[in-house]
Amino acid sequence: MSEKFVIPIGPQHPALKEPSHFEIFVDGEEVINATLRLGYVHRGIEKGAEQRTWTQNLYLMERICGICSHVHALAFAQGVEALAGVQAPPRARAIRQLVAELERLHSHLLWLGVAAHEAGFDALFMYSWRDRETVMDLLELLSGNRVNYSANLLGGVKFDVTPDQKVRILDGVSFLEERVQYYLNVVNSDETFLGRTRGVGVLSREEAERLGAVGPTARASGVPRDVRVDVPYAAYTEFPVRMVLSQQGDLQARFVVRLEELFESIRVIREILNNLPESELTARMPRRIPAGEVISRVEAPRGELFYFIVSNGSDKPERVKVRTPSLANWGTVLATAPGHKLADIPMLVAGIDPCFSCNDRTVVVKTVR
Amino acid sequence: MTLNLNPLIVLLIFPGGLFLIMAGLAYEYLDRKLVARFQNRIGPRWFQPLADLLKLLSKEEITPLGVQRGLFYLLPLFALASALTAALYVPMAGLLPAYAFQGDLIVTIYLLSVLTLSMGLAGACTVDRFALVGATRTLTQLFSYEAPFMLALLGPAIAAQTWQIRSINEYASQNLWLLIAQPIGFLVALVGLMGKLELPPFDAPEAETEIVAGALTEYSGRGLALFRLSKDIELVIGLTLVAAFYLGGIHSPLDFLVKTVGLLLVVALLQTLFARLRIDQVVGLWWRIGTILAVIQLIAIVLGRYVGNLIF
Repeated sequence: MSEKFVIPIGPQHPALKEPSHFEIFVDGEEVINATLRLGYVHRGIEKGAEQRTWTQNLYLMERICGICSHVHALAFAQGVEALAGVQAPPRARAIRQLVAELERLHSHLLWLGVAAHEAGFDALFMYSWRDRETVMDLLELLSGNRVNYSANLLGGVKFDVTPDQKVRILDGVSFLEERVQYYLNVVNSDETFLGRTRGVGVLSREEAERLGAVGPTARASGVPRDVRVDVPYAAYTEFPVRMVLSQQGDLQARFVVRLEELFESIRVIREILNNLPESELTARMPRRIPAGEVISRVEAPRGELFYFIVSNGSDKPERVKVRTPSLANWGTVLATAPGHKLADIPMLVAGIDPCFSCNDRTVVVKTVR
Repeated sequence: MTLNLNPLIVLLIFPGGLFLIMAGLAYEYLDRKLVARFQNRIGPRWFQPLADLLKLLSKEEITPLGVQRGLFYLLPLFALASALTAALYVPMAGLLPAYAFQGDLIVTIYLLSVLTLSMGLAGACTVDRFALVGATRTLTQLFSYEAPFMLALLGPAIAAQTWQIRSINEYASQNLWLLIAQPIGFLVALVGLMGKLELPPFDAPEAETEIVAGALTEYSGRGLALFRLSKDIELVIGLTLVAAFYLGGIHSPLDFLVKTVGLLLVVALLQTLFARLRIDQVVGLWWRIGTILAVIQLIAIVLGRYVGNLIF
């Protein structure tokens, strides 16, 4: 076939839970090129942030992403605290980290299910989502909410961990540890699943660095890049995590890295709960934040989340710029797609754990005259 | 059991027509429910397949731009008709086949392939890109499983030395279960049936995460309902054939029910166990492993008969 045959995926397509538009150029079943158009779910959040007070913005930021809501509020709160020169008390920082790691558990299990579904392995999809309910319940137990936990305040956190909650969280994560071990075995030993992941979408370390990959996608290619380790925030200095790396760079490595990260998360959750520092939960914050600008980075489940906040000294921010990890990883999908089969494309897209609505910040409409 | 039935009844009520449609829907329900339970879901209510069918039948049928109208409307009918006809030579519900002649096995196998062929053509006669890719995959898959599936059904035929399904059924019931004598053939036949019906993990031709609904993407309303119904009917016929050949024949309704539902249980379990195979993996699997296994089985049968003749 000499003519270019284009398969459009999206903006509406059963494989996509959120809108985006791929154009896959194929020759038979083989992909020769791929392009991507984002911006279908631009929500004007950054502009909205300029019209709200610092405290109101905390709630707005939390709604950028429905899966990693906590890390958005955390990055914003930490940035504003840095501008104000306030540090959250140790117990508050530990609870922030606890919720962040619980969120990583729920996010990675959700991703495991979605990725398994893209590979047509619905049994794994159903089982991992069933077990994910455990951590959703734990988050509800802590915060009263399953999705937007609203744990952060400027200068601290809203809720404490009671001894009863501690016991139930420890029980819950022990169960999950067992299940994650089981899924790790499935991912590493199921022949049909390996047929879809091993050697598929190989991203070399150089390519990953060149394309600026972040998070598990970068770590699966051997790039040691983890904000939790590089620039510890919250309580990551007191309760450090080990960086999980793999050199393979294929889809299997991305599965293994994400699942092994969960063991790290579970270990840290246990450590935090057993050594929770005693202190106040909030520090006093001024209503007006001194003028200045700050960069705040945290490690979201998908990779580095970047906030740039400018204050003009009033009770509202001058500018809030958010760069979510998905945006940094799109390049890796488009760069690895050529040469693969059409059937691998949904797996490649799912491989970076994309979050479309979160990365759609702005649209530039070019008018060609 | 023998029953002398009026041809009209045979065609419209039993074993063709109404009975097959009901059986098809019941087996679709069982299949969906079993898969759901294996996946830790609740699954559909018992009348869901019927409800789906009625709803689709009552919906508007959209004719997409650029299709060959005649072909587009005829293909679903063609698929359903051939599936219903195939049932006439098969011991449905444990009763004797309505018609039988030397060589009806070959006719049945071909009638069963017409559904896949119709689906491939249906996809190819639209201009939709997903349907075109789906049609290519459907036909590619047809060429990969068909040969081993046919070889697997020939095994019992050679053992029974007849090309008549009724006689093979009788032979199977008088001898040791062929599942034990020809285990490879049984495996190939069962997995071949799953490939034929595009059940997971052989559902690459209709992989929703890649190509929406494959060849049937442009179908709606009646056409889609008829294609789905033909697939359900083919599931029943396929299970009956495999049970009759490899599970010691079928001679009473109870026998039929127990054996086919038992087979369905295995099929449902296999559906949940694996991730979807890519189309190139499907072709590789069938030609590199499936066909060779089936040929080995065939050679073993022929040699077995030869040696048997020498001894006795």
